[in-house]
Amino acid sequence: MALTSAFMCFGNKKVIKLICTHYAKCSNISALSVKQNFSENVLETASEDLSHITPYFSNTFNLAAYVNNSDTLKKLVDINVDLSKIEKKPYIVNKILKLDFENHMKEHIVFLNDYIGLDEVGNFLTKNPLILCEPIQDLQVRVNYLESKGFQNDQIKRIISWNPFWLMFNTIRIDRRFGYYQKSLQLTGKEVRDLTTRQPKLITYNLHHVKCNMFVIKEEMGFEDEEMKNMVLNKPKLLMMSQQTLLERFNYLHNVMQISHRTILKYPEVLFSRNFKIKQRHLFLSKLGRAQYNPTKENYIPIKSLVLDTDAEFCNNIAKCSVYDFNLFLKTL
Amino acid sequence: MVKFKNAASAYKTLNGLICVYKPPCVPVKQVQHIIKTNLCRDLNALPVRPREQRVEIVGATNEPMMVKLVPNYADDPLVCGPRYIHEDIRCSWATHLGLFSSGVLLLGINEGTRLTYKINTGRPTRAFKVHGQLGKATDTYFWNGKTVERSTYHHITREKIDQVVAHIQAAHQKTMFEMSGLHMESQTTYELASQGLIRPASSKLPVIYGIKCVDFKPPNFTLEIQSINEYDKYLWTLVHDIGVQLRSTAHCVGVNCIRQGKFDLELALLRKHWQLEHIVDNMNQCSQLLEENEQLLKPESAVLTA
Repeated sequence: MALTSAFMCFGNKKVIKLICTHYAKCSNISALSVKQNFSENVLETASEDLSHITPYFSNTFNLAAYVNNSDTLKKLVDINVDLSKIEKKPYIVNKILKLDFENHMKEHIVFLNDYIGLDEVGNFLTKNPLILCEPIQDLQVRVNYLESKGFQNDQIKRIISWNPFWLMFNTIRIDRRFGYYQKSLQLTGKEVRDLTTRQPKLITYNLHHVKCNMFVIKEEMGFEDEEMKNMVLNKPKLLMMSQQTLLERFNYLHNVMQISHRTILKYPEVLFSRNFKIKQRHLFLSKLGRAQYNPTKENYIPIKSLVLDTDAEFCNNIAKCSVYDFNLFLKTL
Repeated sequence: MVKFKNAASAYKTLNGLICVYKPPCVPVKQVQHIIKTNLCRDLNALPVRPREQRVEIVGATNEPMMVKLVPNYADDPLVCGPRYIHEDIRCSWATHLGLFSSGVLLLGINEGTRLTYKINTGRPTRAFKVHGQLGKATDTYFWNGKTVERSTYHHITREKIDQVVAHIQAAHQKTMFEMSGLHMESQTTYELASQGLIRPASSKLPVIYGIKCVDFKPPNFTLEIQSINEYDKYLWTLVHDIGVQLRSTAHCVGVNCIRQGKFDLELALLRKHWQLEHIVDNMNQCSQLLEENEQLLKPESAVLTA
């Protein structure tokens, strides 16, 4: 009886017909009589609770089709996980959809909450949802490894919240990478810890890329080993930049603007600024005849003023003219 | 500056023409992309549409069921993505500017894409500042090419360059009449010609209306050119030709579009100002300019006006 009324709620004649014939074959009753039997029952009102029966979920291009029917996804949205970003990678979605909030996710979220705080959990899971598929013991082991290496508690918190992918790396890999950085930059244990805390992403970054950047800094830009070490410890991001832009910016600073290595060493942030910004300000200053970057001579322009501050502040304090003039100049480039 | 209360009203006003300053070495496609990205970013930062409600009928089917109004999770920006994305904003350029050229670039946004088509078919004149350098010829006629020839340029004076430039202008005056698509010995042509300069009929061949040397500091010189249907490579070859006619060699070091129709540099938005408020502001100025000068969109005769 429950079966027949279930069909009723679909109200699809074709389905009923199909099931009827199937039913008839099984029970060796003539199809016609069964059909009649069904059609009588179809008109009857069902007395059982059918709220657990739902139409099946068809294939979809995004998670929005499922979210209203899934408590797990709803809870993820409630803790600010951006599903629209996760669904860009279907292989991750396939894994996430098989998980259940109570059984598979809760422990992980409680675990993460201890290190990064509840506000950041959503952001963290948006970036690395696959952490929900890692066994919780492994995560604990990886945190314990950091503790054993002498990291303070707040350092560990910073590492995990700044680099959501850190916990995906097993301890052997992390250990090898620590070793690599220690050897290639000749760091002491404390310096490795400082570097890791300052920029946790560097440790898990693509090592080939890091190697290439070290080559660019040492061989192509011509810094000494010791200088590179200081620069990297100060600004670890240098090793994660694209080599091409790094070289392009250095080339402009060193070969066009004639800025020495020593000045760049004092303020390596100039290499983070986009080239057109430095170019604009430098050309403007040289047009005014004020492009003088040597601190021992008069009218010295500090190199950091080329990248810091807004254009208005730059014009006021450094170029000593109005922003309007600067804008007019930009329209002649 | 316009301040918007919500994203929907801001999006509605985003219909029209804007005038931006294209920096050199940034392709027009990228300018479009940056503008779309910035508009989406600024629109999404404004208060956007709230989450929709959803009717759900819940409860056991054999008892009276409940009709509830619940928030629709599928409509949350976290699930269906940000409210405004690139595809929501259409953007097209009126006339193309080459990769190495800089200057005034007209872009149509949303409904304004039609205006860009009309402006393009209306063929407004464009004014360029073309920077050249004497003494070197390159295979692409531009500074980035391979050097193919070097020569001296000490014999070149301002008078000589003016003379060559005047010759070029005179030669183009003649082509202008040929390009107008009219019979050379008819009354109509005479009447048109008596009114002044004429627009070309085709959109293919470049016509130069004015060319003048505005700056001459050997080896650098700057030409100011008013023309229709030109493109960056054509202007480079022009500089090369001038070099040859001066018994020397020259290559182009920069092309800067300073005016298109009535849209000049004063109006153009710099890269740092490609933000929602500035763009809407600029759009208003442009629409005002278009209202005052209807001939920009619908030129009534072939006589050159703007």
